[in-house]
Amino acid sequence: MFPKWFDKWNADNPTNIFGPAVAVGVVGSAVFAAALIVTWGNPYQTESMQTGPRGTGMSVPEYNISRTAPDPTIEAYYTEEPYVPEGGEELAKDIYENVQVLGELTDDNFNRLMLAMTQWVSPEEGCAYCHGDGGIETYGADDLYTKVVSRRMIQMTQNINENWDGHVNAVAEVGVNCYTCHRGENVPSDIWFNVTPVNENVGGWSAVQNRGTTMSSSTSLPSNALEVYLTDYDSYVNVHDLESRVAGVPGLTEDVASIQKTEMTYSLMNYFANSLGVNCVFCHNSRAFYEASEYTPQWGIAQLGRQMVIELNQEYLIPLEDTYPPERLGPIYADAPKAACRTCHKGYQRPLQGMNVTNDWPELVSSEAPVYE
Amino acid sequence: MALLSFERKYRVRGGTLIGGDLFDFWVGPFYVGFFGVTTAFFSLLGTVLIFWGASQQGTFNPWLINIAPPDLSYGLGMAPLMEGGLWQIITFCATGAFISWALREVEICRKLGMGYHVPIGFSFAILAYVTLVIFRPLLMGAWGHGFPYGIFSHLDWVSNTGYAYLHFHYNPAHMLAVTLFFTTTIALALHGGLILSAANPEKGEEAKTPDHEDAFFRDYIGYSVGTLGIHRVGWLLAINAVFFSAVCIIISGPVWTAGWPEWWNWWLNMPIWGADPLPVYQSGFGG
Amino acid sequence: MAIEYQNIFTQVQVQGEPDWGMDESGEMMADRAGRPRFSTLFGLLGNAQLGPINVSSYGVISCVCFMIWFNIVGFSMLAQVGWSVPEFIRQLFWLALEPPGPEYGLSMPPLNDGGAFIIAGMFFLGGCVAWWLRTYQLAQQHKLGKHLAWAFGALLWLILVLGLIRPVLMGSWSEAVPYGIFPHLDWTTAFSIRYGNLYYNPFHCLSIVFLYGSVLLFAMHGGTILAVTRYGGDRELEQIYDRGTATERAALFWRWTMGFNATMEGIHRWAWWFAVLTPITGGIGILLTGTVVDNWFIWAQEHNFAPMYDGAFGYEDYGSYETFIGKEN
Repeated sequence: MFPKWFDKWNADNPTNIFGPAVAVGVVGSAVFAAALIVTWGNPYQTESMQTGPRGTGMSVPEYNISRTAPDPTIEAYYTEEPYVPEGGEELAKDIYENVQVLGELTDDNFNRLMLAMTQWVSPEEGCAYCHGDGGIETYGADDLYTKVVSRRMIQMTQNINENWDGHVNAVAEVGVNCYTCHRGENVPSDIWFNVTPVNENVGGWSAVQNRGTTMSSSTSLPSNALEVYLTDYDSYVNVHDLESRVAGVPGLTEDVASIQKTEMTYSLMNYFANSLGVNCVFCHNSRAFYEASEYTPQWGIAQLGRQMVIELNQEYLIPLEDTYPPERLGPIYADAPKAACRTCHKGYQRPLQGMNVTNDWPELVSSEAPVYE
Repeated sequence: MALLSFERKYRVRGGTLIGGDLFDFWVGPFYVGFFGVTTAFFSLLGTVLIFWGASQQGTFNPWLINIAPPDLSYGLGMAPLMEGGLWQIITFCATGAFISWALREVEICRKLGMGYHVPIGFSFAILAYVTLVIFRPLLMGAWGHGFPYGIFSHLDWVSNTGYAYLHFHYNPAHMLAVTLFFTTTIALALHGGLILSAANPEKGEEAKTPDHEDAFFRDYIGYSVGTLGIHRVGWLLAINAVFFSAVCIIISGPVWTAGWPEWWNWWLNMPIWGADPLPVYQSGFGG
Repeated sequence: MAIEYQNIFTQVQVQGEPDWGMDESGEMMADRAGRPRFSTLFGLLGNAQLGPINVSSYGVISCVCFMIWFNIVGFSMLAQVGWSVPEFIRQLFWLALEPPGPEYGLSMPPLNDGGAFIIAGMFFLGGCVAWWLRTYQLAQQHKLGKHLAWAFGALLWLILVLGLIRPVLMGSWSEAVPYGIFPHLDWTTAFSIRYGNLYYNPFHCLSIVFLYGSVLLFAMHGGTILAVTRYGGDRELEQIYDRGTATERAALFWRWTMGFNATMEGIHRWAWWFAVLTPITGGIGILLTGTVVDNWFIWAQEHNFAPMYDGAFGYEDYGSYETFIGKEN
């Protein structure tokens, strides 16, 4: 193929090209990759939020493309400013029938809120989702379960904004309204049901763990952490001994936690972290999870959050079980849908990235009559 | 200085990479070489800086001394000395010292007519160190991601870095690295034990041979890797243990930012499994 | 400097007649089984010969015990997924045979609530003990020193602490380690969380020192021997009895590098001790946890070796949420 003089020269001068070729290839590829990254940036660049003193390793990493991407549901959020009453207008309780919760609203604001609620919960079905299609004269009836449930949910929303201020307005004025959970869906994403036992043919602790499920956050930790810790007022998550020498048998002596209970708490913590898109060191210095002087402020806010969720489940959501039709109940126990962190947070540190959803909705911040600025 | 009984004939000139005869001498038992000088420089400077940092911290208790990297807000820039800059300089010194040590080992290998397996092995350990304090912080955009220089403080960093990914044991490269660590240790116990048991047999017995070693292990587990093989296996196990440790940390942060258990969702969600018997299972968390 | 010359992989494999093994007493051949065969894959790194293997009583008992243990664990896992094989494969890393709950203390629980775990554990223990006896007996028969048996004994110490001694001292089988891949890792983290952070347990520190030290040593020793194989360095026993240039160069490498060196025999003592002290100190550390010390971090604070951090906790002091999501305003 080559001229004779080349073949002769090649035969007379044997040269190792394999070694240099490998070296040039490796170095060249590295230089090429570096040039690409320098010119166009690393598409998977991450940034971290420092949450503790330097050198402790307390930080929350996130891809730039994720952390700077706006929550897609923010764009679809519907809101309307209130009609500030001048005084002397008729109130909803006198205009409409069977108004049990929103009676103190003026007509304008009542209808404004009704419209917003359909946008937040049933944009396709509209008013008929709760009121049926009998026409506005029939809207006072409570025939549909959705109407009964919404009434209770309005009360729940008012309760959250009024009494759980320490959680929903902890670091900024944010609050909640129907959209926080529903985001335009009839049924909020990330509600949960009772699922344990998750294993067959075994009992006790063996039945509730050692299976990868969403409830266990893909670990083999217990899958009933939410059932145990988010519905019972008396449940406590603490497992640590607060002295260096403590007598007792784990699980049998009071306040001496077992390994199993520790795994249950750890499972709950995995859920907390995933619900907010953060990690353990967002709240804790992991060298001493229980040490109050090394908590971040987020620890206290999360504690309040757990108490709030227990109250919501106990007082509002679980009692609605008999109101729901079968298709809305749990797949195994036909239990009521329950809420937890992810139902509102949906993977973000602050729901809707901290957008304030109550400044237009004084009707939803208290069970008392709304106060318009 | 006193030499070993057989040492004199090996003390010849040559094998240097840099400097020729200039630094080709020994101080006591230590070979110097150009890289011995650079090692001494970097390690002395780094150590002095550590002690100076400790003095500023106010303690010389070895368990409590802590030289911390800068806050993340300094990014990849140089931080003020007392705000992490000291850590940066010490890191530079450490890297220089370790690389110098490895190159000095190369010079010693060349002088003794040995293969370079030891410095190559050591290079993997250096790779793990620079992965932790240079490559990973570089990729994550801040020197502050490095680990602090302090006995118990660096353990706090390990703990927090692990929990930053919720359950670090689920990191597949970490699982591999840990397995390799334990396997290396078992293999070391087996090798040390076998040699010693053959060289120190039962009372009254003559010292044994590799044939005895092979026979024992074939009886024991049906296979004997042999005198050369065990050193290849041990060397490769140890190097891979360190390599996959470096891998497991470089992917935590620059490549994967969520909890490590969540990584396994690709397996749990594979379509070939068919309908999930547990109706509540959905694909993993995003957002 | 091509890689083929670094003596990592065998370039040319020579195969002769298989070696049936030393038998100075004349009695060992009777216990050997399995016609030896060759694997050129194994031959790339080590000897190619596979077999024969000694099948005397202790080995058989051990294998039977381990097989029973393995099957109890496996069938329990299969039962837990409702006997579905695809689900078994899918959940394999997550499944486990779990110890009893704490409510049973040290009593025998029902079979499906920890009982199977206890029984499987007994077979596991039997397998381990039988294997130790095999290790000792084979060394006896070969007239070798008992170093391997004592090394395995160190590992058995750790296994016994984790599965038997410590749960008994704690008064509860629930403290034992589950048989499962991810579950035993969950146990490890839960153990550290529950008892106040094991990084502050001094025996845990020591065990890690010896673990990392073992890996360091094998890289050093393996590398050193490979570097002097051209002088016959891998013939370590002969080099011990009659020091040759391989040992001399290896020793001098380290003497010139770090100022001191071992001998061809001595390095194996360093190796043995580092490897053996890993489970010994680890076992001590586990044993002390929950029995003597219930919160290692508080224990560390009481003994003045827990560092203090004077920085603030909470992201507000280092940045803001709005900056993090790219909305500084």
